[in-house]
Amino acid sequence: MVSLPGATPFEVIAIWSVLVIAFFGLAYAMFLRRQVMACDKGTEKMQEVWDGIRIGANAYLKRQLKTIIPLIFIFTIILFLSVYVVPPTEESKLRFAGYSDESLKLVIGFGRAVAFIMGSLFSLMVGQFGMRMAVQANVRVASASRRSFGEALKLAYRAGTVTGMLTDGLGLLGGTIIFIIFGVASPDTLLGFGFGGTLLALFMRVGGGIYTKAADVGADLVGKVEAGLPEDDERNAAVIADLVGDNVGDCAGMAADIFESYEVTIVSTLILGVVLFTQTHQLSWIIFPLLVRGIGVLSSIIGTYLVKGQKEAKDNNALKAINKGFYSSAAISITAFGILAYFYLGEWRSFLSVVVGILLAIVLDEITKHFTDGNYRPVKDIAKNSKTGAATLLLKGMSYGFEVAVWQTLVIAITIFASIMIYNGQPIVYVLYGVAMTGIGMLTLTGNNVAMDAFGPIADNANGIGELSHLDKDARKIMDSLDATGNTTKAITKGVAIGSAVIAAVALFGSFITDVSKVQIQMGFEKSAQLIETGIRISVPMVFIGLLIGGTIPWLFSSLTINAVTRAAAEIVEEVRRQFRIPGVIERTVKPDYQKAVDICTVSAQRELVPLALIAVLSPLLIGSLLGVEALGGFLAGVILSGQLLAVFMAGAGGAWDNAKKTIEDGLYGGKGSEAHHAAVVGDTVGDPLKDTAGPALNPMIKVINLVSLLAAPVIIAYQKPGQSSVGMLITGAICLVIIIGSITFSKRGGFKKVPFEM
Amino acid sequence: MSKFIYLTATPEALIASMLPPVDFGEYLSTGTKKRNKGQAIFFEVDLRQIEKLIDMDSLNQRCVPKPDGSPKNSVYLSVYKVLEMIPLSALKSLYITTDNGFTLELKRTPYDLSKENKSKLYLFQELCPVSPMVASELAPSAFLKRLTDGSTPIVLPKLFFVELNLGDLATNPLKGSVDYLPFANVAHLRDCLEALKGAYEKHMKTVQRVFSGSLLYRTIGSGFYIGSRDDIIFYPYPSLTELEDINYEFFRSI
Repeated sequence: MVSLPGATPFEVIAIWSVLVIAFFGLAYAMFLRRQVMACDKGTEKMQEVWDGIRIGANAYLKRQLKTIIPLIFIFTIILFLSVYVVPPTEESKLRFAGYSDESLKLVIGFGRAVAFIMGSLFSLMVGQFGMRMAVQANVRVASASRRSFGEALKLAYRAGTVTGMLTDGLGLLGGTIIFIIFGVASPDTLLGFGFGGTLLALFMRVGGGIYTKAADVGADLVGKVEAGLPEDDERNAAVIADLVGDNVGDCAGMAADIFESYEVTIVSTLILGVVLFTQTHQLSWIIFPLLVRGIGVLSSIIGTYLVKGQKEAKDNNALKAINKGFYSSAAISITAFGILAYFYLGEWRSFLSVVVGILLAIVLDEITKHFTDGNYRPVKDIAKNSKTGAATLLLKGMSYGFEVAVWQTLVIAITIFASIMIYNGQPIVYVLYGVAMTGIGMLTLTGNNVAMDAFGPIADNANGIGELSHLDKDARKIMDSLDATGNTTKAITKGVAIGSAVIAAVALFGSFITDVSKVQIQMGFEKSAQLIETGIRISVPMVFIGLLIGGTIPWLFSSLTINAVTRAAAEIVEEVRRQFRIPGVIERTVKPDYQKAVDICTVSAQRELVPLALIAVLSPLLIGSLLGVEALGGFLAGVILSGQLLAVFMAGAGGAWDNAKKTIEDGLYGGKGSEAHHAAVVGDTVGDPLKDTAGPALNPMIKVINLVSLLAAPVIIAYQKPGQSSVGMLITGAICLVIIIGSITFSKRGGFKKVPFEM
Repeated sequence: MSKFIYLTATPEALIASMLPPVDFGEYLSTGTKKRNKGQAIFFEVDLRQIEKLIDMDSLNQRCVPKPDGSPKNSVYLSVYKVLEMIPLSALKSLYITTDNGFTLELKRTPYDLSKENKSKLYLFQELCPVSPMVASELAPSAFLKRLTDGSTPIVLPKLFFVELNLGDLATNPLKGSVDYLPFANVAHLRDCLEALKGAYEKHMKTVQRVFSGSLLYRTIGSGFYIGSRDDIIFYPYPSLTELEDINYEFFRSI
């Protein structure tokens, strides 16, 4: 194999095996899809309701494609041309020895562009196919619930596993193919792959988050609060948009989010692995993480297939069945990693890093559970504060939200420290590799995690279909039970998504330092001026400014996304009110125009994509071009720290408020309609856009910024030498600044038109 | 189309309708245009037993289908002293409706005095004709008798009330857990209950002077009571587990 000089026969077989496993994962997804599609879709009425969801979902996906495809095209060209600004790395020259400079540029530029398209398309496929699968499954789960709990559970989980295995299979496939073709030159192209996946995840997360919460908040405010309609009432014009929103946010958005974390961790590990390979000439730095991923896919296949339910719904038995699958996968993975480390590596450091990653996922899960699950003290405390009104409930929730951010960040700090200990005495690049391997370990069970997450909207939608098509009590009980389990699994995977995003960002941050140093060496920088030697010095004023600005970006992003939800929800409220006034809608003689609410949510969600993406893409260019590459490092540190704290705070507080409300609805302090419940509804409404829109959008945003920085760093180093100001860089910075200001204005107003303030 | 007669408790009124109880409950709680919402608590009344008490000609003239053929929703027959007027024997099932229109039927049952717990404290929400919330050391039958038998200066001709759960406070007003109780001012409730255990004989204490208009159905204890002196009709309220089986929609919306 040309791309792997010095590979042993085992390593050659291993790398091809990983490729086969990736295809096997995809084939398993197809197998499960066929199983799901073979099930019946229930009664005519059920199919009529489902048709509304399907049409709404398709409209959203179609419009999303229209918005995204031109951007993919533009970025593909930029990535292709980027190789003409910064020459390919030494590793690329080594891999493609014998190529002329021009041919090499063409190969790397082409590779980077194709990798970007591949990353984008894979991310898009995970989101779009996953969401379509969820939509196909929900009506079938509703139908299966008329027969037995076990059948409905198995069907919902297997449909979710289709998305999980797509995430696993495509993530592994992309990284492996690039590595097989480009070998040691893969870092040059892997960045394109990572950037494509991350950018698309940002679109899906932002769009999905705005859509789902605009529909949810809008539908609840008018339907439940104003008109006293029950949840999922057919007379509420936003009810279908609400059901579509669950798929858009929790299925497409979350799947793309976890996919890009999965992708980015392998990208950063391979980048760091190549650095270590060039230093030690051991291919195991690269092969081991790929094999770990392959084992993860296999163990996910086994674990997910084990999930089966009993005939009757009993307390928590859905969660028990899902957990059984998860822990089986974890046990298989750890055992296989140990065997692999013993026989292949002959040492335990990489294995320990991976195990630390799995432990990190479990610890983060436990922390999330402690702060957001109704069985633990924090949620009970928040619910208790509802007795003195919404203000105290909000304050208590914020207090716990702040606290969970502290603990989760400390755990991540301990994880990084564990890497330092594991690679004690080794240069920094080993520690960074250890961190990246932790990310690999953490996302080993991505197939299970995404399956658990996608299970949520499938069960939720099935319940909605059951309600709207007036299914019998026994079926409704089964769906209620599955829905409640889905809420728990969604909350758990949210914690994993945030944690993995931060670990991936830290790994990318490590790649930034090593990559910048490589370019600096290539360009003849003195050793004392190289970033790997100097580190990022926050005592340098420019770096400190970068750090401060970096810290503000997640806040800006959150402000704009929450603003967008508020604006879109207000539009939905007006629309539902308008439709209530149409004679016959309330009397059930006239069907509401569901499509109108779907359109409002779709348009609102897509309107925000471009400005927010521009802020994420251009802000590192602005800092790098005006303040320099070290300040850009400070900027990244600011984004990671502030983003991590804010994302966990929002997810924690939002999740806790949500479950405090559910606890009260289960009977605490008088249940629905009590004063305590009114206060809890306020908390939940405030928390909804925090936990489902702004918080999740920060995960891909952090990584987009990191990847853009990685891509732009060589250009910045080339054109902005220390102590010299470059006119080109100043102009670039000015252009970025103007576009960012324009994007903020556009996003705040929902367009460029000035909207007069009305009382 | 059949005619139904309903006695609503909050507020007190006698209403004729062509809607059967479940539809009438939905109509009362949410209206025809969904512009309002609110709970409804009403009895179905046996028309044959009250024919001599109401103007049947007026009823037959007014309670007719609408021009489009749809049933007449409501014809108010009386709004004052209605409970006093209607004989207890005319009361059929009791219906309670959530504010989003789901109705639960409670059937009348002979009251078994031997099952009363006389060693605990009670909390009663009076619903008609007056509506304070009262803490009492008297069991339901004694409470009803005391307020309707004329032995005290305050006398009611009949009383319709519901027993609310007190949880641990029923036996331990000062230190009992209040976790599952909905009351905002628990200290006041504890004081009221404690006052019943004072040195001088006090059988009841007003906790809240006026009914808020909304009954938290999850907090209902044994059930609803209506009667006068020793004549007591009981409408037992199912446990939440039973309720989940009996009326799932109602259960989900409370």
